[in-house]
Amino acid sequence: MGVRSKIWTKSLGMMAVSSTLALSAGAGWAADLTVWCWDPNFNGSTMEKAFAIYQASHPEDTLTIEYFDKTALEQKMQTQLAAGVTDGLPDIVLVGDEMAQKFLLAFPGAFEPLTDELDYAAMAPNKVAVATVDGETYSMPFDSGVTGYFYRSDILGEAGYTAADLEDITWDRLIEIGQDVLQKTGKQLLPIDTNDAGPLLMMMQSAGGWYFDAEGNPTIKDNAALRATLETYARLVNSGIVKPVNGWPEYTGSFTSGETLSTYIGVWITGTIKANADQAGKWAVAPIPRLDGVPGAVNASNLGGSSWYVFADAPNKDDAIDFLKTVWGADIDFYQQILVENGAVGSLMTARDGEAYQAVDDFFGGQPVWQNFSTWLSEIPPINFGIYTQEANAALVGQLPALLAGGDVDEIIDAIDAQVQAQIQ
Amino acid sequence: MKPVSILRHGFVGLVAVWSVFPFVWMAVAATNSSADVIKGRTLPGGYLIENIQAFMTAVDLPRVLWNSAIISGVGTVLTLTVSALAGYGFEMFRSRFRERVFAGLMLMLSIPFAALMIPLFVMMAKAKLINSYSAVILPMVASVFVIFYFRQATKAFPRELRDAAKIDGLSEWQIFAFVYVPVMRSTFAAATIIVFMANWNNYLWPLVVLQTNDKFTLTLAVASVGIGYTPDYGLIMVGAIAATLPTLLIFFLLQRRFVEGMLGAVK
Repeated sequence: MGVRSKIWTKSLGMMAVSSTLALSAGAGWAADLTVWCWDPNFNGSTMEKAFAIYQASHPEDTLTIEYFDKTALEQKMQTQLAAGVTDGLPDIVLVGDEMAQKFLLAFPGAFEPLTDELDYAAMAPNKVAVATVDGETYSMPFDSGVTGYFYRSDILGEAGYTAADLEDITWDRLIEIGQDVLQKTGKQLLPIDTNDAGPLLMMMQSAGGWYFDAEGNPTIKDNAALRATLETYARLVNSGIVKPVNGWPEYTGSFTSGETLSTYIGVWITGTIKANADQAGKWAVAPIPRLDGVPGAVNASNLGGSSWYVFADAPNKDDAIDFLKTVWGADIDFYQQILVENGAVGSLMTARDGEAYQAVDDFFGGQPVWQNFSTWLSEIPPINFGIYTQEANAALVGQLPALLAGGDVDEIIDAIDAQVQAQIQ
Repeated sequence: MKPVSILRHGFVGLVAVWSVFPFVWMAVAATNSSADVIKGRTLPGGYLIENIQAFMTAVDLPRVLWNSAIISGVGTVLTLTVSALAGYGFEMFRSRFRERVFAGLMLMLSIPFAALMIPLFVMMAKAKLINSYSAVILPMVASVFVIFYFRQATKAFPRELRDAAKIDGLSEWQIFAFVYVPVMRSTFAAATIIVFMANWNNYLWPLVVLQTNDKFTLTLAVASVGIGYTPDYGLIMVGAIAATLPTLLIFFLLQRRFVEGMLGAVK
């Protein structure tokens, strides 16, 4: 045996010894967990708080968070996974729920299934559904995008409408209310960006509908929820109670400045609304209106939301899973903390029995808003986003001018279907 | 003033306001709170210091400025060296294959960067360069556009100068360094602005290849702060100013040469 091969054998032996040591050391081994996410004030902040709790029992471990813009993070991950290179990937990554199926289906094996690690029966069903492929669930569900109808209770009150009048109503009832309020106050009810699919998606999901079925096949034709959504949206936008806006700043500016009186959107908007401290006590939240005449339509829906995923090749995979399981998967007090401090509505349903979820919020006129949100969260109809939701959204938005100009709904559905089918081919 | 002249001045003034307004608005927005920016306030406010503080807390400015300066500076020097040599070579040396090779290079201009990104990423990973300055700089060094630009500019370089220098006994390298470079300084100035700005503003490739916030360029850092669910537009505008100022500075420093370079280098 030559010198060279002797060294080789020796180093192989050393490697074997050191990896045995690493295995036997288990959780005692110091791990530097890395996380990629996109909002230092929201998801990054909650991650730091979760880790602070974990560190009490794992003082050796450390956490590094890298921040990217959400779309940038998706693009970055897509390129790297497509290149098949796992160097430099973090242990844990935050993925928007609407992108989850795309990543899970396009890159099988890239993410670690957590089905045997977490108790998914305790999580919101719609959050579990978006992260499940072939019976395996991959995510630690994080923030919910449960929707609410946020409105200026002071001005609607002056116009004669109380919270009870907005409870469990249909969109057509909201149009009636809006027209009455417009007449009495001169103000429009809703800002809507007609280049955004969001307002339609919330309607569609509230009836358990989507562009695709559970297998990911397009169901754009013969889709009662989509048809009702298009018809309702056209009636709503053309009713005179909607102020068309362009882009996110104008949208949020419209209802925070008092120009319009309400909006329907995901719970994560709460921070933006509460940033206007002078409006404390002037806001309230109702469940969003439901689609009329569609079986299964409820007064609850979802927009946005995200979940934590562990990479299958993560350098500290076992520690990352242990961390998610111990804190994110079980610690009810932690969920009270991030609700109060970050306004994060988590997806662990047992957390709603905690103190913070029971509390009332004076900004929203003393309503138990968090209790309400978590009730609506459990009612959201689960849907399958599939791989092509972004493409379908683009097709939908492309047809909105025709829809709002009074175009035939059948033709519009055909056009959306044709464009989506062409993209999928 | 004649009516035609008034009309002309009016039109030019309108175009000037049109192009300057975004910059003015960026500066004004940096002095306002995010809520005011959203409401469309166009008057200066009193939030400048707060916005700067918020930006400095969110971004390690010296660090990202350093990253940007290294990547853009070294990148520009390397790109100019390689491309000027290539442009000089393509124009000065005759060969049967010259035009074919050049046409092949030109063809590469039509390949979108998105198509090159994945193979490039694999190459960088194999070279163990992920998350390094080199990974950002290297793919940009041989810029087909800049080679093309130098070759076009070199067409105006008097061959007699080269012949005279040869008679004086200068080697080809010496001719390049001591005759070509000084004569073509306007071209170099224009190319410096183009390449420096392209490197400074480069977003997609650094985003893909840089993995940690401490390696981020200023452009990347600005794009990743103040975002999220409740964007802080005042902070974002401070970042936009911070990212714009250095390129403006370079532009004004080299402005005269830039215009000369664009008009044709050799007089």
